[in-house]
Amino acid sequence: MIFECPQKCWSRRFAGSSLLFVAVSLSLLVAGCGETADPSRRLTVVATTTIVADLVRQIAEERVAVESLMGPGIDPHSYRPTPRDADRLARADLIVASGLHLEGKLAELLERISRRKPVVFAAESVDVSERLEAAAGIADPHVWFDLALWTACIDPTVQALSEMMPEAATSFSAAGERYRQDLIFADARIKQAVSTIPSEQRVLVTAHDAFRYFGRAYGIEVVGVQGVSTESEAGLADINRLVDLLVARKVPAVFVETSVPDRSVRAICEGAAAKGHRVTTGGRLYSDALGEPGSGAETLAGALTANVNVICEALGGDVATEDAEPPQATSTEQSTDPS
Amino acid sequence: MSLLHAAAASLGISSNTLVVTLAMAAVGMAAGVVGCFSVLRRRALVGDAAAHATLPGVAAAFLLTGSRSLPVLLAGGAVSAVISLGLLVLLRRFTRTREDAATAIVIGVSFGVGVALISGLVARGVPGSGGLERFLLGSTASLSASEAVLLVLASLVATGLVIAFAKEAIVVSFDPGFAAAAGWPVWWIDFALVAITAVMVVVGLPAAGAVLVTALVVIPPVAARQWTDRVGVMLCLAGVFGLVAALAGVVVSAVVPGLATGPMVVLAAAAVFAVSLVCAPKRGLLAMAMRPKPSIMMPPEGPRERSRS
Amino acid sequence: MSTPPLLELHDVTVAYHGRPVLWHVDLAVTEPCLYGIIGPNGAGKSTLVKSALGIVPLSDGWVRFFGEPLDRVRGRVGYVPQRESVDWDFPVRAIDVVLMGTYHRLGWLRRVGREERRLAESCLERVGMADFATRQIGRLSGGQQQRVFLARALAQQADIYFLDEPLAGVDAQSQQQIFEVLSSLRDEGKLVLIVHHDLRTAASWFDRVALVDMRLVAAGPTDEVLSRENLARTYSGHLEVLDELGRAVEAGRRTP
Repeated sequence: MIFECPQKCWSRRFAGSSLLFVAVSLSLLVAGCGETADPSRRLTVVATTTIVADLVRQIAEERVAVESLMGPGIDPHSYRPTPRDADRLARADLIVASGLHLEGKLAELLERISRRKPVVFAAESVDVSERLEAAAGIADPHVWFDLALWTACIDPTVQALSEMMPEAATSFSAAGERYRQDLIFADARIKQAVSTIPSEQRVLVTAHDAFRYFGRAYGIEVVGVQGVSTESEAGLADINRLVDLLVARKVPAVFVETSVPDRSVRAICEGAAAKGHRVTTGGRLYSDALGEPGSGAETLAGALTANVNVICEALGGDVATEDAEPPQATSTEQSTDPS
Repeated sequence: MSLLHAAAASLGISSNTLVVTLAMAAVGMAAGVVGCFSVLRRRALVGDAAAHATLPGVAAAFLLTGSRSLPVLLAGGAVSAVISLGLLVLLRRFTRTREDAATAIVIGVSFGVGVALISGLVARGVPGSGGLERFLLGSTASLSASEAVLLVLASLVATGLVIAFAKEAIVVSFDPGFAAAAGWPVWWIDFALVAITAVMVVVGLPAAGAVLVTALVVIPPVAARQWTDRVGVMLCLAGVFGLVAALAGVVVSAVVPGLATGPMVVLAAAAVFAVSLVCAPKRGLLAMAMRPKPSIMMPPEGPRERSRS
Repeated sequence: MSTPPLLELHDVTVAYHGRPVLWHVDLAVTEPCLYGIIGPNGAGKSTLVKSALGIVPLSDGWVRFFGEPLDRVRGRVGYVPQRESVDWDFPVRAIDVVLMGTYHRLGWLRRVGREERRLAESCLERVGMADFATRQIGRLSGGQQQRVFLARALAQQADIYFLDEPLAGVDAQSQQQIFEVLSSLRDEGKLVLIVHHDLRTAASWFDRVALVDMRLVAAGPTDEVLSRENLARTYSGHLEVLDELGRAVEAGRRTP
């Protein structure tokens, strides 16, 4: 309908139609945020890192859909959430995060979501007395490197899943137990492998201080260039100190990480080389993220086993000859003795 | 490499320290010299614009080559910085946008495009894409010998160009109307100055990071201005101040553990500026406070008030 | 064969953002003289000079210097722009400013040498500013600054000089000194074109005058051009000025 309209009328019409537009958009937005209650839909668990995603998958298997916000090779210290991430978290039935401020930039988002949805902070189930301190009052979040310690996260996860899907509670519990045994088995194998490295050369130098739990659990000295978070920058004094350490202890190799830029590690290698001590980059380690599907390192146990193979080979120990996957024994009499 | 170690050992420092010192000294000196013209042209924020404008180029370079090696990322960053600053010059020439608004536009848009590109890469799980924007933060202490060579070369070239074409740059900066009438291609010279600043900033990024490199391009020239009324002397002094600040920052970072090198350099530059602000003859605060106040009985003798820019 | 005019403007038209500022100006100057460009504010006087020098693009028409386009004879044309666009806090001294006049002759990359320095000093001497050579430009009075810029133009060693409002905001002593330098230039056979704001002094100073009010109203010897009728046509929007100006012009006609 076309009609003549004086100037005043047009501006009123404009105001009216923009108001309508805003109202429609708002209602669509609200509707989009709301939940669609579809009982036939498989329940969804959204995990932040690949490591906690692996934890959930091992326990829940095919019963729930598990999504991971971050992919392989992504650094959780610096990961910034996108609006799509916020959306996925909002539509999840359960959220599992690593916790202890590993996902530094997700903290606020997770806190907001936790008021409406169940959120499990896996690493926080580790006893306070077992946690290592990164700085005054701040815990080191890289707990998963100590497989025996990581088993503490299994029970809270089983419980959260059971609350979400009570009919599968017994399956979750059984799967949790199996996973605990797998982790303990892998833990023992790693300990054994590390013990074959000559003791003076048992020094693990990496880009950031992710491996302190690994060092404590498996008896290897760890040194990170950048400190506990990748957000900080290495100072020249720290670099010099590390070069001197490498040269004095004649450490044969240093290691780069898949999710962290390797500039600082390469600088240390150069410094040591200038002093006449050749240090090789021993290989890539999985630190804050697991590997690509199909690499054998897409599970936590697989990734750590791959790590220890790389470390042993570079530092002069014996590589674990068995394949990465532990035997699929359902009975529990196959318990190895934790040393 | 043993040559490097021999040189370092003879100075009593590690080769890492020597590498970082040489690189930062070159970058500090060049940033000071090149930055003089940005400051004199009252476009001090062009360094900041250049730094942020590198991000889309860095992301694109990584996307196209999959490599995170420094020369590749720097090349990409330099291209996008020069393009963005070229757009800045065009905006100023052909539209009525003012300098500060145009600079803000370039900073915002290019940085936004860069972050969007990088977040897209991260969201798609492209390995190695995480932390690309940390390129903007710099990691001075982790400079390798080959990177340092690149930085030193680029710094020397930039400084050389500015000094060679100093008189053209001066006449265009001081009185563009006169320069145009005398036949100088004013817009091209202006663009060249801006482009050299952009390249200098890009080169300084891995050494000092974005915000810090902007500081290095601005603080030494401003400090130098306090001490002299001659632009040639100002250029030299700015280079010296940049060099000294770089050396001081590296020394502090090498001696005290846990202090990142880039920020220490900028703090040193700020200290130089503070001293210049207070102590410079004629323009320093102390000098102005001690100047005898003109008596109202005497007629005003000559010095005009500073005019609006 | 007749020599081409020193300066020739043909059909010069300039428009800013679609609005005409100068309209079909035809002007030819054949002899060295002191040539005044007079008109009300906003009449396009500065634009006339800037468009002749290529600082502002021409929408129509052309300009020739000694029969050639400007690019071929830039070395022979000197310019003293209006003073507002200068940054007074710029770290240059008077001598440095004057040296800028020699840059064009040096060309790209070459540095200033002893010969250029001597020329600059003699130009400063000529405008009476030799004692202020090392003073920073912002620390000079308006008149002193204007003399320095004139010295810069002298250092260009040109044959035609354009000056844009050189006497605005200048004290009387400096005005006199500047006028003397310009007269001596004219006596040396140079053409000196001056955009001038003050009608009162125009009558006594200039040999020839052009009255501009977006168009060229009249041009020629001062006596002929500054008639009541022409003034009325030029300053038609400024009625309150007319009578007083007319009287002033007649009173100020060239005194021997």
